Amino acid sequence: MSSGRPGRAVPRDAGTRLRTGRPGALWAVPALGFFALFALAPLAIVAYLSFTSWNGLGAPEWVGWANWSRLLSDRDVREAAWHSLLLTVGTWAFQTPAALLLGVWSAGRGRHRAVLSAVFLLPLLLSSAAVALVWKSLLDPNFGLVAEVAPVLGFDDASWFSTPEGAFSALLFVLGWQFIPFHALLYQGAARQVPEVLHQAAALDGAGRARRFWSITLPQLRNTVVASSVLMVVGSLTFFDTVLILTGGGPGTSTTVVPLLVYRNGFEGFEMGYASAIAFALVLVSTAVSLLLVRLTGFGRMSATSARDGL
Amino acid sequence: MNGRRHRGPGIGGIAAVGVLGWLLVVAVPVYAVVVASLRRREDYLDVGPLSLPERLTPENYLDALRSGFLGYLMNSAVVAAAVVALVLALAVPAAYAVVRSGTRLSAHAFRLFLLGLAIPAQAVIVPVFLLISQLRLYDTLLAVVLPTAAFCLPVCVLILTAAMRDVPEEMYEAMALDGSGPARTLVRLVLPLTRHGTSTAAVYAALQAWNGFLFPLVLTQSESRRVLPLGLYDFQDEFGTDVPGLLAAVVLSLLPALVACLFARRAVVAGLAGGGGR
Amino acid sequence: MGVGEVLSRRAFLGRAAVGAFGLLTLPACGPGGPGHGVGPGALDVWVWQDAADKVQQAAVDRFNASGAGRARLNRVPGDGYEDKLRVAIGSSKAPDVFFNWGGASVKEYADAGELLDLTPMLQADTAFGKAFLPSVLQAGMVGDRYYGIPMRGTQPVLVFYNKAVFADAGVSPPETWDDVTALIAIFTEQGVTPFALAGADAWAELMWLEYLVDRFGGPGVFERVKNGDVRGWRDPAVLRAAKAVVDLIERGAFGHSFSAVGYNAGGASALLSRGRAAMQLMGSWEYANQLAADPEFARGRLGWTTFPTVTDGRGDPDAVVGNPNNFWSVTAGVRDPEAAFAFLRTAAEDAYAADLVGQGAVPTTTDAASFLDRSADPAFARFQYDLVQRASTFTVSWDQALPSAQATGMLTLIRKLFAAQLAPAELVEALTALPRG
Repeated sequence: MSSGRPGRAVPRDAGTRLRTGRPGALWAVPALGFFALFALAPLAIVAYLSFTSWNGLGAPEWVGWANWSRLLSDRDVREAAWHSLLLTVGTWAFQTPAALLLGVWSAGRGRHRAVLSAVFLLPLLLSSAAVALVWKSLLDPNFGLVAEVAPVLGFDDASWFSTPEGAFSALLFVLGWQFIPFHALLYQGAARQVPEVLHQAAALDGAGRARRFWSITLPQLRNTVVASSVLMVVGSLTFFDTVLILTGGGPGTSTTVVPLLVYRNGFEGFEMGYASAIAFALVLVSTAVSLLLVRLTGFGRMSATSARDGL
Repeated sequence: MNGRRHRGPGIGGIAAVGVLGWLLVVAVPVYAVVVASLRRREDYLDVGPLSLPERLTPENYLDALRSGFLGYLMNSAVVAAAVVALVLALAVPAAYAVVRSGTRLSAHAFRLFLLGLAIPAQAVIVPVFLLISQLRLYDTLLAVVLPTAAFCLPVCVLILTAAMRDVPEEMYEAMALDGSGPARTLVRLVLPLTRHGTSTAAVYAALQAWNGFLFPLVLTQSESRRVLPLGLYDFQDEFGTDVPGLLAAVVLSLLPALVACLFARRAVVAGLAGGGGR
Repeated sequence: MGVGEVLSRRAFLGRAAVGAFGLLTLPACGPGGPGHGVGPGALDVWVWQDAADKVQQAAVDRFNASGAGRARLNRVPGDGYEDKLRVAIGSSKAPDVFFNWGGASVKEYADAGELLDLTPMLQADTAFGKAFLPSVLQAGMVGDRYYGIPMRGTQPVLVFYNKAVFADAGVSPPETWDDVTALIAIFTEQGVTPFALAGADAWAELMWLEYLVDRFGGPGVFERVKNGDVRGWRDPAVLRAAKAVVDLIERGAFGHSFSAVGYNAGGASALLSRGRAAMQLMGSWEYANQLAADPEFARGRLGWTTFPTVTDGRGDPDAVVGNPNNFWSVTAGVRDPEAAFAFLRTAAEDAYAADLVGQGAVPTTTDAASFLDRSADPAFARFQYDLVQRASTFTVSWDQALPSAQATGMLTLIRKLFAAQLAPAELVEALTALPRG
C-alpha cells in the first residue's frame, strides 16, 4: 500500500528545502502509541490468555494448546461461526442494494427528497441498544406491533418470529433498519459527485434512466461500494449488542454469533482463557477477511480522485 | 444484485416504490414508538400499539427524567465530546505523517491501523478491563473514553488520509517554498482544505461513542457513571412491564442527537460527500 | 485482594504486555487502596436491582441514621450483576458488602481469598447467628466456614395462576401431573396459553427441569452433580424430566412464541396478569413484581400453589426448589470490618423483617412467623412460610449451585432442549460432558 502520490517525485535540488515542509514520522507516534496501548496490547494479552486457564480471579494458569484444541472440536463454535457467516452475507445482500437505491435516489434534486432524506436518517441517531430495545418491543409476539400486524398479513399469530428463521430474519431486518441509512448517506455523497456532464452525454445518446444508472452511476460508485462493503463485513462479524438484546442468541442457539459466544464464555461462564481463544480466532478471521477485501480492491490506496482513475 | 435488464416499469418507478416502502418501514415504527411512549402503561398492554390512544400522558417522560435520565445523557455527551477531541488530536497528525512524511515508518504505521480495522471490541474486552483497572480508571468516564477512542482511530485515520491525499501536490510545494514548517502547513493549508474529511471523522467518532455499549457495560459500574445506552438497557429491569416508559426514554435519547443533527447536518452530508469513498 | 494475587497479576500483565508500556511501574491496587468503596468510612453495598430493593435502601438509611457507620447502596441491574461482580472483585472498585445467592455462588471468590470469613463474628455473637433458621444460614457456607448472612425472603419456586382465568374455565389449579395435562388441553382449546414461560431467559426454563428431576428422582440426583459427580446426570430421572419438558412443549403448554418472551422485560408476567396465560412457574418474587406492576391483579386475582405431584416419582411431594434466600457477603478488602458487621446485623432487626414482609417476602429469621400477619398478603406469606417449614429438602437453583462454567454450559443446553435443537437423550450426554471451569 504505497501512498497515492509519493513525495519522492519532488526534484532532488528542491529536496533539501522542501524537506523542511514535511512532517517527520514522529507526528504519527502519539496515535500509534495510544492505539498500541489500548488496542494492540490487549490483543497481545488475549493471545497470551488463550493459552491459559483463568476464571478472572487469581493468576492465569498456563495450559498450552488445550483451549485451541477444544475450540476446534467445539460444535457451538462451529455453529456460531456459521451464523456469523450467514449474518455477514445476509447483511451485505440486503443492505447494499437498498442503501444504493436510497442513496442514489436521495442524491437527486428536489424539496421532497431533502425532507424524506431527513426522515431516513432517523435510525442513524439511535444507539444500537435503543434500536434493539425498540424492536424488541415492536416484535414482541404478544404485545408488539407484529402481534397486531400479523393477522392483517394473513398469519394466525406472530409466533413466526420465535422460529429460528424468523428470529434470524428479524435480526437481519433490524440491523438493516439501523445501518442502511448510514450506507445510503455514503452513496448519496458519492452520487452527488458524479459529473452531470456524463449524464447529459448519455441522455443525448438516448440512454434511459435505468441504462444510465447501470452504465454511469454504478461504475462511478465502485469505490464507495468497496468502502461500504468493507465496513459492513467487518461490522457484521463483530455485531454484538443488537444480538444480545434482541434475541439473546435464541431461540435455543439459533442466532448465537461468535462475539456473543465470547461474551457467554467469558462473562457468564468466566472461562476467560477459552473465551480469549475464541476471541483471538475471531480477530484472525476478520483481519484476514478485511485484508483480503482491501487487497482485492485497493481500498488502502483509495481517495476521492483515484476513484476516477478507475484504479 | 438484481439484474433487471428488461424494460420493466423504469428505474424511476422501482426507485419510487422502494423509497415509499422504506419510508413506511421507518415511519411506522417511529409512529408506534412515539404513540406508545405517550400511553398509560395499563392501556399499552390491552390495546395494540397502532390504535390512537384516547388519553395521552406525559407521565412516562416525567418518569424517565426522574429516573436519572438527564445524568445518563450528560455522561454520554461528555464521552462523545471527549472521544471526538481525542480522536482528532491523534488522527490528524498521524494521517498527516502518513501522507506527507514519505518515511517507511509512516507507511508501516498506516498498515498497522488498517489491521486495527478488524479488531472487534469484545475480543479484547477482558485485557482492556485489566488495563483500565491497573490504570485505576475503572468506573470513570475516562475508562470509556480511552478504549472507545482507540477503536475509532483506524477508520478515522483512513478517512483523513484519503482527504489529505486530495490536496494537490503543488499547493504543498508552494507552502514549502514560502518556508512554512510542517505545523504551519498543516494549520494553514491542510486543515482548511480537509474540513470535510475532518467532520466525517468527527461524526464517525461521535456516533461510535454515542452508540458504545460494551465498554461502558464492562468498565463502569456506578449509576452516576452510566451512559445512555446502558441506562436504556437497565430501564428494562427497572420498568419491568413498563414498555411505554422504556420507549419514552428512547425518544428522549433521540432528541439531543436530532438537535445536533439539524445543526450539523450540512457539515455531515458535505463531509461524507467530501470524504470520497468514506 | 490478597497481596500474593496482586503480585501475580502484575507479573502476568508485565509478561503479557511485554513490559513495553510501563505497566510494571503502575501501582497495583492493594487492599483498601484509595477508591475502595465510596469515600472514607462509607461501605459500598451492592444489591440486585429490582422492585424489592426498597427494603435494603431502608436498611441502609436506618444504618446511616444509627451512627454505627455509613453505607451507600449501589443498585446493580440484574442482567449484568454477576459479570459486574466478577469484574469488580479484585479491582479497586470492589464492593464492601454484596448481594449473592449463597455458598455455591460465592465459592470461587472464597477459594480465591476474596471474601471475609464471617465464622469468627458469628462465634463471637451467638445471638446474631441464632436469629436465622439454621438450614438457611448453612446455605451461605463454603465448606465449613460461614460467608453469608441471609438478607431477603425465602424464594421457593411456585406455580402462580390467574384466578379469573380458572374461574372462567370452571377448573381448579393442578395438583397432579394428570391435572396438568388435562388443563393444558382445556386452556389451549380456549386460546389461552396454559403456562407463561419466559423462554428468552434460560433460568426460567431451567425451573421446570429442576422440579421435574426432584419429583421423579428426589433431591439426590442433583446432589451428586453438585458434589462433582457428573454421572448424576445419567440418572433416569433426568432423561424422564427432559422428555416431560418436550411433551409439554409439544402439547402447547407454553404457547408457540415463548422463546421471544423475557422475564425481566415483563413479558411473561404481563401474559399472566392479562389473562392471556393461565399459570406461570416462577420464584416467589413474582408476587412482588406483580404487586409493583399491577397491584389490583396481585391483590385480587393472583393465585399460587405448589408444583404438582407425579405418579411413581421417588421425590417427596413436599420438596421445594428455588433459592433458600439471598445473602450478604463481605469482601476481604473491606477497610472497616466492624462497620460491615454492624451493617450485617441490620438483617436480623425487626424493622427489616417487617419491611421484607411488607414486600410479600418471607424472612428466614427464626421469629419470622410473628410478622406474617403484617404482610401485604398474609395468606401468601403464610403459605410460603409453611411450605418452606414443611419442605423435606430445599434444592438450590442449579445454575447457582454449580461452578459458573458448568452452569453457563448447562443453561445453553437447556435453551437448546426447549428450542428442539437437542433431544432428551442428547441433553443427558451433553450435560455429562460439560467443562467444570
